[in-house]
Amino acid sequence: MSLALAGTLHAALSLNEIVAKYPDIPRLIIIKTDVQRRGIHYTERALSIVDPAIHQIRSPYLFGSRDGAIKPLPESLLLRDGTTIFVDPTPLEQNPYQVDLVEGRLALVDNGEVVEFVRLWEKPLYYDQKTSSGIPMSHIASARPQRLNIFQSSYCHFWAEQKGCRFCDIVNHNKQQKHELGVPVRLKPEDVSETIREALKEPGRFTNICLTAGSVLKGKDLFDHEVDYYIETLLAIGENFATKKFPSELISSAFNEKQLIRLYEQTGIMSYTSDLEVLNEEKFNWICPGKADTLGYNEWKKRLIRAVDIFGKGNVGTGLVGGVELAKPYGFGSEDEALEATFEEAESLAVNGVTTFFIVWVPRPGSDFRGQQNPSLEYFVRLASGLHQIRAKYRLSIDFNDYRRCGNHPDTDLSRLL
Amino acid sequence: MSVQLSDELVSLLHDRETIKLLATTDESGTPHVVAKDSIHIAEDGTIHYLEHLESSRTNHNLVRAIWFDRRVSIVIIGTHQSFQIKGRPLEVHITGPLFQKHYAEVRHRLGDVDLSGVWVIEPLEVINENPEIRRQEEEKRRPFFRHLDRLAKPLKGI
Repeated sequence: MSLALAGTLHAALSLNEIVAKYPDIPRLIIIKTDVQRRGIHYTERALSIVDPAIHQIRSPYLFGSRDGAIKPLPESLLLRDGTTIFVDPTPLEQNPYQVDLVEGRLALVDNGEVVEFVRLWEKPLYYDQKTSSGIPMSHIASARPQRLNIFQSSYCHFWAEQKGCRFCDIVNHNKQQKHELGVPVRLKPEDVSETIREALKEPGRFTNICLTAGSVLKGKDLFDHEVDYYIETLLAIGENFATKKFPSELISSAFNEKQLIRLYEQTGIMSYTSDLEVLNEEKFNWICPGKADTLGYNEWKKRLIRAVDIFGKGNVGTGLVGGVELAKPYGFGSEDEALEATFEEAESLAVNGVTTFFIVWVPRPGSDFRGQQNPSLEYFVRLASGLHQIRAKYRLSIDFNDYRRCGNHPDTDLSRLL
Repeated sequence: MSVQLSDELVSLLHDRETIKLLATTDESGTPHVVAKDSIHIAEDGTIHYLEHLESSRTNHNLVRAIWFDRRVSIVIIGTHQSFQIKGRPLEVHITGPLFQKHYAEVRHRLGDVDLSGVWVIEPLEVINENPEIRRQEEEKRRPFFRHLDRLAKPLKGI
């Protein structure tokens, strides 16, 4: 029996028990969280109605999937409240939810019972186009239901020094993506500009643009080259807008004040995220050795706080890989301990205007933590609720990274009503 | 269980002169009622409501309703008729063909406006709010609910 299956079978509470125990948390968000936690498997019946002319098939992404394969499967799912489930195909032996065809509709099925009906993501029109340089535009900008992702460079310099984050598979996945699909490792600004221009021709299709990439350590100051490259790409994107600023998020390394001012003043970027990944210095040092060695936990935090003066309260955030703080062997010993530490740190950031959100940790085969088991559903529900409550307490907006403009964070789904 | 709307109600919903009110409740149960021109009936018999503002109270209340299985109410007022439809939000389209169709339409019709979502509401109950019909129904079903003077013989000489 695999580790993942064993973990699922021994989970303390089932989905329905968690729904009953936490009546203030919407059932749909709990379902989303559990689906992200366990993954999905499409049945042949479900795949029979997938139409690549209509539905979005998995396109290039920064990180790999749970089955380690690149297959032409549907990109992902939507729930009936508009919540996105960003989820990977998962090997059957890991006991994922099944996506099946029930009464002519796609449904999430578990143990033979329909949990909820779902919709597939629709393919944007620009996915059928190529840039003037001949690259499929789907390789330049990956679409979500309402967001455009630009992964401008898929190499992370921490990996060159064998200090990549232990949950991350960015470089391994991108080698695979380049080899199997021919996805460029580094995007040219003119290709990005042309793709954005094409995407904007579809009315009502997108509300946000997100840029992210691996860390680039080079430059006069640490990360200077990374900043230069982001500015170049953002200026290319900005050519397509009548306003200087456009709804957007940058997820990058922790830049210094000078770099942040350059970014904010020279480009259309409106929000800034730099991921601490785990909110505890000791765990950070173990899980993110590259980040720890170059800047360190406390300097990373300080730079986030300084960014609030430039981007404004509610426009600066840090992302966590939720659950990785419990990884073996040096993670927290209990879920309670992990939550207490995380909330304490998240609150210290919120006091200073920085908001914290998480993605559900998926132990990917191309990462150091492959084969591990992510925490219980109850853990993720408590984590989502706690981070949402901190955001509400300190009146921090999450408009740049909410259910619609991102869709990958159960806690920001809850903040939809803030 | 879903109910089918009568032809009379359907034609009232199609009439541009009809007043349409949408009532939702907030976290504490406080009602929030607003006039909404964009309520219309879809081909499958559900009611569609176009929400323009992501942060509106109505939108937040509809999100609460779909999350926690709450009901909403739609009041339809014509020149001589009035109906109330109790319903529940089934789905909101924030993307996809239905959303994009309405997005293009509202912008064509209203200019530089946005669209947050297309809410799909399942009608669960229809009440004819015509006062005369309501009075007749009550007198038939609840004969005690009348003041006696209404039943008294007219006094001679008065």
